[in-house]
Amino acid sequence: MDSDSDLTFLMARYQLGDSGAAAALVHRLSPQLHRFFLMQYISRRHADDLLQETWLRIHQVRHTYRRGQPVLPWLYAIARNVRVDHYRKAHRAESREERLEEGFDIPQAAQGDMAQEAELGRLLAGLPESQREVIVMLKVSGMSLDEVARATSSSVGSVKQKAHRAYETLRKGLAGMRTASAPRGGLA
Amino acid sequence: MKDQEIDNLLKRAAGAQPEVDAALVDGVARSLGSSARPVRPLPPAWLLGGALVLVCVSMAVAGAMILGPFGFRKMSAVDMAAIFPVLGLLIWVASALCAAEAVPGSPRPVAPWVLGVCGCLALAAVFGLLFHDYGTESFVAQGIRCLTAGLVQAVPASAGTWWVLRRGFAVNSLAAGFAQGALAGLAGVTMLEIHCPNFETWHVIVWHISVLPVSGALGMVVAWIGAHRSRGRAAPG
Repeated sequence: MDSDSDLTFLMARYQLGDSGAAAALVHRLSPQLHRFFLMQYISRRHADDLLQETWLRIHQVRHTYRRGQPVLPWLYAIARNVRVDHYRKAHRAESREERLEEGFDIPQAAQGDMAQEAELGRLLAGLPESQREVIVMLKVSGMSLDEVARATSSSVGSVKQKAHRAYETLRKGLAGMRTASAPRGGLA
Repeated sequence: MKDQEIDNLLKRAAGAQPEVDAALVDGVARSLGSSARPVRPLPPAWLLGGALVLVCVSMAVAGAMILGPFGFRKMSAVDMAAIFPVLGLLIWVASALCAAEAVPGSPRPVAPWVLGVCGCLALAAVFGLLFHDYGTESFVAQGIRCLTAGLVQAVPASAGTWWVLRRGFAVNSLAAGFAQGALAGLAGVTMLEIHCPNFETWHVIVWHISVLPVSGALGMVVAWIGAHRSRGRAAPG
């Protein structure tokens, strides 16, 4: 049984009231949902809260899942909704402080790959939210273009465009970092 | 830098994120497992969409019959053959959109704003081609009457659409509100086409069509108020 049909089967069992299927879904999907929230520059504490809130909402609206349809777009559409509510509720100043305290750990004297990852963190943080979430869904959660389009209520073309723009920004930023860190000629 | 390198960096960055707390996951799993009860899934999309079409068309026809089908009697066969299929198509697309907005992760046939803009343009093109009386007698007074009648007609239509979609969950309440308002507005426009015998070009283009965006905007406002209130209730304290 492949991953998609497995999730579809578990969702169908969950709708029938199978507590084992509910627990299996939570164990299977929580790590990637948690990562989705963390990659959106939400603090660890808030990501934990959002994960619980997402499962609560999934439980409340589990009847809206249509059997046979892919589970991930349905799940991520609800997770986005929870995250948007969170942004509305969160106090801006407080979230900024927490971002500094708990966000990406950016080493000052990082070298090589570590420096690139740190730079990537900075660049991701600077991306528009709509581009960042598309990148996270595509590259971190491993969703297809069609699944991301469904989850974000947009077209496949729009998802491609957002991903392309995000990659352009990341490419330019990382190339700039390489140029800046490359050894220069002349007198030491 | 190649895309593959960025992909690898992204994966490494994701892997570097702290793992979710196992105790938290166990707690959520226990909580959901203990309250897992069988639920009745929503009907298929085609059934929801079909029910919405039926509600809107029947409401529009009933409203027009109550007020009198004067416009329908005055229309030529060409007018009917051009106007009602376009309205039917728009109602069908709006119904499919409403059904999609009520189910998370559903593919949308069009974006709500596209429906609003293209719907208005399509109707304006049809009316502009069919009606050539460019008089503007009692333009505002008659127009306000038609706009009001169309919006009043949209109220029961929107109540009907709400009833059909009451078990749905809109992840974007404003888009869903606009779609439902636009669908109800199309019921209002359909009623006006059957009822209103004023075929002056500008009257039909300005006042009949404006029911669609005004009703859509009102739907959005109602959805915003509803979402605001539910957030207020959900907030602690």
